[in-house]
Amino acid sequence: MSNIAGKAYAMNVVTPAKWYWVWVNKLFFWFVQLPGGAAYLKGLLTLSLIHYARWAIVSPKEFPHLDESQPKEKLKYSYMFFFSNFNGSWDQYVDSFHAAIPQGLDLFWFKNVKYPKSVPLQPFHAYITYNQIWTSHYYSAYPLATSNDIKSARHLTRELRAFSESSARADPLEFHEAYQRLLRDVQQDISIMERTPIVSLSAQAVEQRLDQADAERADQ
Amino acid sequence: MSIDLQDIQGNIVKGYAQYDYPKARYVFYHIRNEVAGRAFVKGIAPLVTTGIPWNKKAKPNAADAPPPATTNIAFTYMGLKMLGVPRKSLQTFPEEFVMGMKLRKDILGDDGPSDPRHWDRIWRDTSVHLWISINGRDPASIETRYQEISHLVAESDGGIIQLSGHHGPDGSTDLPYQSASLIYKNGIPQAREHFGYRDGIGEPYFMASSGHPNRVIGGGKPTRGDPATRKGWEPLETGEFILGHRDEAFETPIAPQPPLLAFNGTFMVYRKLHENVGSFNRYLDTVGENYPGGKELLAAKFSGRWRSSGAPVTRFPTNATAETFEFQLNEAEARLYAERENPSKEAKEAYVALRTQMAAFDYNHDLEGSRCPLGAHIRRINPRGALEHGKEAFNTPGALTNRRRILRRGLPYGEVADDSRDDGDHGIIFIAINASISRQFEFVQQQWINYGNDFKLANDKDPLTGNHGVDSNQQPTGRMILQGNSTATENPFFCAGIPRFVETRGGDYFFIPSLTALHMLSNGTVDPT
Repeated sequence: MSNIAGKAYAMNVVTPAKWYWVWVNKLFFWFVQLPGGAAYLKGLLTLSLIHYARWAIVSPKEFPHLDESQPKEKLKYSYMFFFSNFNGSWDQYVDSFHAAIPQGLDLFWFKNVKYPKSVPLQPFHAYITYNQIWTSHYYSAYPLATSNDIKSARHLTRELRAFSESSARADPLEFHEAYQRLLRDVQQDISIMERTPIVSLSAQAVEQRLDQADAERADQ
Repeated sequence: MSIDLQDIQGNIVKGYAQYDYPKARYVFYHIRNEVAGRAFVKGIAPLVTTGIPWNKKAKPNAADAPPPATTNIAFTYMGLKMLGVPRKSLQTFPEEFVMGMKLRKDILGDDGPSDPRHWDRIWRDTSVHLWISINGRDPASIETRYQEISHLVAESDGGIIQLSGHHGPDGSTDLPYQSASLIYKNGIPQAREHFGYRDGIGEPYFMASSGHPNRVIGGGKPTRGDPATRKGWEPLETGEFILGHRDEAFETPIAPQPPLLAFNGTFMVYRKLHENVGSFNRYLDTVGENYPGGKELLAAKFSGRWRSSGAPVTRFPTNATAETFEFQLNEAEARLYAERENPSKEAKEAYVALRTQMAAFDYNHDLEGSRCPLGAHIRRINPRGALEHGKEAFNTPGALTNRRRILRRGLPYGEVADDSRDDGDHGIIFIAINASISRQFEFVQQQWINYGNDFKLANDKDPLTGNHGVDSNQQPTGRMILQGNSTATENPFFCAGIPRFVETRGGDYFFIPSLTALHMLSNGTVDPT
């Protein structure tokens, strides 16, 4: 059980909010999805360590009741589910949100129960830790790739395809010039992906034990 | 905001080298028993240099007269334990400090030739409890203070052991202390390290900093104002560097208990970093031949500053602009040195104006890195506002940077006998001071020096100080792209096969107590209840 897979960390935070306040949060989420609202997400979108972040508000009657064997629950609150995958450590992520977009966070979590505000940091850390649900299974198909790497790879692929089509019948001089132009266009997108630095010694220890167990099973 | 400088150790607020103390001796001790340990600390306490401002014109024995030699003291976790600090208090120290530098090697990237197995013997075979630094104007002043301290060790009757095991020049492996010194040229001490770079330029400026107010330019945290003026910067909060004071998160930093033990204290990183001068020179010579800008520009692109002047390459992008600046700087420095006993106002102002230019910049006009590469050393260790990528997207441009700053207090050590060789014993004694070793020093070391994702550079490392590896044929794998100018016809240049230029040779994490806390430690009165 680990929140970490490859270069990514999976965070799930579930926070209660009084049902009669959540329309404010919903209004805010609706607003930022309007064409002009994206400006309010600029900070979030500039935090390049994020793979994605999603908020969902679920009211008491929206919780699924699968069949009769599931005991009925009387829920007092609406709940906000926050899911995010990101690169780097828990601290780096939470601290980046807190420092870069504190007002935005305070709107997202507006009136959530016991939300302490994003500044100062220590109460905010405590709030997220208290409400975080640990990830029981997490798989990464591309453990060497960060969100930035994927964006770069996509850009590089696009440019390279266009280049190979457009330069297929170019004469040597044209080809040379087009190639130099390509280099300049993709200079931010070329590097090599390797293993992640070890951001957590305990996660590293868990991984080593699991690898060891796998190796032993393979031997049998 | 004022802080009690008499309660704060002087090395926190002063880089002694800038106060004409060009030489240092770092001595390490092991505490055999608590009583002797406390008696030793009690003996050292009156010798400790505080942060009070010095008055050069004061009478020699006045409280504010600069001493012939300074003395500062710090403890490892095991040192605090040996002094009898109660468990309830010990448990409140941060994890990384408790573990010490050796056990943090996977976080720090101390692998291959930097692995603790290859460290100086003192860091391998012994348990360091206590660090004392003596900075002096001349070797004799240092020796006098060293003898005073050695006398206290002798009085402990075996209760305190001075640890030897520092490697030195001539292959010695058992020196009793680590010497360090600015490098001299024509008899004048230079702020320079062994690769030839001018050093000690970027210094964080915080609320309690002393010195010229212009030092906030480039030293403080960026605002949205003009980076060339004081409007472009604000002092950092004191709590980033000294415990018990407000930090950049608008709270007092997490600190050991009781509060009086932590208040006005801080954490220190001591690291002996060997410099492979031969490899560095060979790489510059070989690759510099093919690089259109030549060897010196290549060296400047690695660091982000020109080697000889320290001029930032983002502001002085060509050889010609850098040379003009260097000429002016040399003139101003020579004049200031000539007038050092009683400098004139003009000499000081001329120097401050040039010094300010070395720090007065950000990267907003150089977002693609065509002047200062995205992976250059100074752009990595202090990205200023660059992690906003020019978008004015964050609450403040330094949102991802302001809590990653460190005060550097180290000096070069050793001499380069043959600059075509890597061996010998020379490099930098890197000393960093910060309120949180994990949030500040370790983060910078791991994420910004040994990795590149925050700069969108995948696994690229700092060209100068990164822990570059080798492939299966033992060929070095370090790499760096020197970005070209996409609007002009300047192409990127690819540096491949960069070897590891800097290797770790030892070090540990220390707690620097306030003077009050030092007395509590020596009296055995730390009580967190």
